[in-house]
Amino acid sequence: MNRRTLFIAAGAVAVLQIGFLASMIAGRASILRNGQEVLLSVQPVDPRDLLRGDYVTIGYNISSVSTDLFAERPQDERNGRDRTVFVRLKPGEDGIWEAVAARYDQKPKPAPADGELDIRGIATSSWYDEATLINVSYGIERFYVPEGEGRAIEANLRERAFTMKVAVASDGAAQIKSLHDGETMLYAEPLY
Amino acid sequence: MASYATKVKRDIARWREAGMIDAATADALSLDVERNGGGTISFGSILSMMAAALFAAAILIFIAANWEAIPRLARVAMLFIVIAAGYLGGAEMKLRGREAFGEAAWVVAAAAFGASIALIGQMYHMSGDERQAIFVWCAGTALAAAVLRSGALTIGAVLLGGAWMVMHAVDDWALQLPSAYLAVAAVLYLLSFWTRSAPARHLVLLSLFLFAAFLYARDETFVVPIVLIALSVALFAFGRLQPTQAERMLGLGSALPVQALVGFLTGVGIMQVELIDEQGFLAVSIVAFAGIIIVLLLAGRESRTLRWLAYAAFIFQICFIYLVMLGTMLGTAGFFVVGGLVLSALAFVITRLERRLSGPPVVEGEWL
Repeated sequence: MNRRTLFIAAGAVAVLQIGFLASMIAGRASILRNGQEVLLSVQPVDPRDLLRGDYVTIGYNISSVSTDLFAERPQDERNGRDRTVFVRLKPGEDGIWEAVAARYDQKPKPAPADGELDIRGIATSSWYDEATLINVSYGIERFYVPEGEGRAIEANLRERAFTMKVAVASDGAAQIKSLHDGETMLYAEPLY
Repeated sequence: MASYATKVKRDIARWREAGMIDAATADALSLDVERNGGGTISFGSILSMMAAALFAAAILIFIAANWEAIPRLARVAMLFIVIAAGYLGGAEMKLRGREAFGEAAWVVAAAAFGASIALIGQMYHMSGDERQAIFVWCAGTALAAAVLRSGALTIGAVLLGGAWMVMHAVDDWALQLPSAYLAVAAVLYLLSFWTRSAPARHLVLLSLFLFAAFLYARDETFVVPIVLIALSVALFAFGRLQPTQAERMLGLGSALPVQALVGFLTGVGIMQVELIDEQGFLAVSIVAFAGIIIVLLLAGRESRTLRWLAYAAFIFQICFIYLVMLGTMLGTAGFFVVGGLVLSALAFVITRLERRLSGPPVVEGEWL
């Protein structure tokens, strides 16, 4: 390769990779900016595994969805594990949003009424005959904290009821927006 | 070492500028020097690659620490600068004839790309599929390797692709092996021809043997090891009967029989482990010995690596079979006596064989 082509090639690689990364950031920022807000209550998961490294693993009130809410039972060899799930959410009386319907692969029918929305997740458990709950992961189950601060947050999470404000895009993608302890906001995500 | 290749390439550039040779000849000569002149990996290039690995690790750990003193947008900007500077700086060093430093700078840039993916995941508290993140990193690195024709980046992409496959195998209780890995491996193998990276080819093959082992763990059908053994035998035969063709199509150099033997031993090993305490164990073990001895006799002369792999496999087989067949009858002391006797016999045979086989010096291919 001669001098110019190698430089152009190197520049092109840098531009492509940086462009890809920038588009990732832009996509996330756009969910934060334009997504609809829902409030979820934070539930500590298995305490032994709560903190791994520099993030806190958290669950939500919608992390387990009752099989009664699903439109149909999945018919595949893994009983729906790892398949996309759409869960319809509706605000409860205390302002916390709750699951009211769910469906594998597609959004539940009919279209959401006013004040409702569909959030997208992945089923992380299988629907066996005796199953009553399906675990769903929405990609918001980690809360990254600066190194060394995890333990304190973990302890607080188990003592009190925290809530998480989550932005949901029109395609159902979810993005953590802010963490609340009752009325006080603990962490808020800047756009960038 | 400012290698022979570097010096000749500098001369080629000078001859070209002086109009003594045309561009096509210059390119052909440079390529030939790159391929053949740098047969031995220089100490300097090993050190610079290790330095690159340390920088890469430092970047990744720095991001993982999530240090608040630097605002995250500044951290993103820093990584973007490392990416751009790494690729462009690497190109500059390559053009100055500093091959190893150039490759090392590209590796650092590719690591910064991976670190950026991790940082963005951290910024937006993304949880979920790390495997997908690794895959994107692998794809980005492979793309860079293809565009820049970089051997080091090809190896990086192969390692990331392998990590992606292994993560599937160990992450999940249900052992979800992605069959797409076969396609990934094929693409990376082809890429290694374009980037002239023999080590990458070998790594792809080794990862495929691992894939076969996982595949067997998932399906538990003897089809997997039998196909693996058949393919290994075919590979070996192809290399023996059509050496020029095999080299042109597979580009494995003198390590082709080594790869075939590793594949064969993997397949036989799977069957042996599965047949412990069963009828077929002895038969499969005899196949194993036969395979090792045939390979040694047919191809042992050409490759030292092959010979030592065969000896090691032979010794391993003896211990393994002893533990399975006789372990309950003789005591541990008996095992040590037998082991000592067998090892002395082996040492005698191996020294004899080595004296006979190492005869005239044979050019060794690049084998990592």
